[in-house]
Amino acid sequence: MIRLHRPAPRPRPDTIVALIDVVFFLLVFFMLVGRMDATAPFEVRPPVAGVGEPLPGGGLTVSLGQAGQLALDGRPIASREALLAALRPRAGGGDPPKVRINAHASVPLRELLPLVTALEGIGLTSVVLVVTPTPP
Amino acid sequence: MRLRRSRRTGLVITMTPMVDALLILLVFFMVTSTYLDLDMIPMVERGAAPTGHTLPAPDTAAPRTPEAGTLLVRLGPDGRTVVRGQPLTEAALAAALTARVAANPATRVVILPSGQANAQALVSTLEIAARAGVTDVRVVRLESRP
Repeated sequence: MIRLHRPAPRPRPDTIVALIDVVFFLLVFFMLVGRMDATAPFEVRPPVAGVGEPLPGGGLTVSLGQAGQLALDGRPIASREALLAALRPRAGGGDPPKVRINAHASVPLRELLPLVTALEGIGLTSVVLVVTPTPP
Repeated sequence: MRLRRSRRTGLVITMTPMVDALLILLVFFMVTSTYLDLDMIPMVERGAAPTGHTLPAPDTAAPRTPEAGTLLVRLGPDGRTVVRGQPLTEAALAAALTARVAANPATRVVILPSGQANAQALVSTLEIAARAGVTDVRVVRLESRP
């Protein structure tokens, strides 16, 4: 009986290295393009404005939903008083943190403006409203 | 005498687990990141004059003269803007503000929004003012006295 041996396939390191290159490239690309912001547990569609300044990174994110729901850095907060109580210890120091308000476009101003006033009232000196230049 | 170290068997590094880990990281970052382009509008700034989202109580002693160069824009519950009792469309408001800025570059715009108006209406009004060249925009809020 004749046994035919197939020649062993040659390892091809080149192709897998090219694959790793592509995957690395994609990985770095998505890490640079995306933002790792805390997302609110409810829908927040920021208002559209073409004149905003670039949003700086860092700081605290206060989300304000359409029905007045509040969240701090992605965690839901029951009331404005609870939010202020959570922020007050951090606002007391010499360098209060930046706060960005991520408000839904259709939230009534009777929810938004008192919130801004209250944040200013506990000593926060940098509060910004998040907008988007492109409608989603 | 020459001692020979026993030759190591060739270390085989498999690439497949590494590629697996990379792909998992890739998918993780693609899924968890948000790709919405975000900007910001400052609401409270350090060093700015007290923004006073509450109108100061009117002085009873001396009648306040309206500050020169200040324009009050009211924002209605439906998002319409009213200047001096005249409802204005967006284009008319932009034209009016541009004319005011041309006459007085230090024009200050004070926006008095209704609590029923939504955030988009306020942001749109701020945008109109900014595009008209107004550099000092304030938002005030009426607050009942305790």
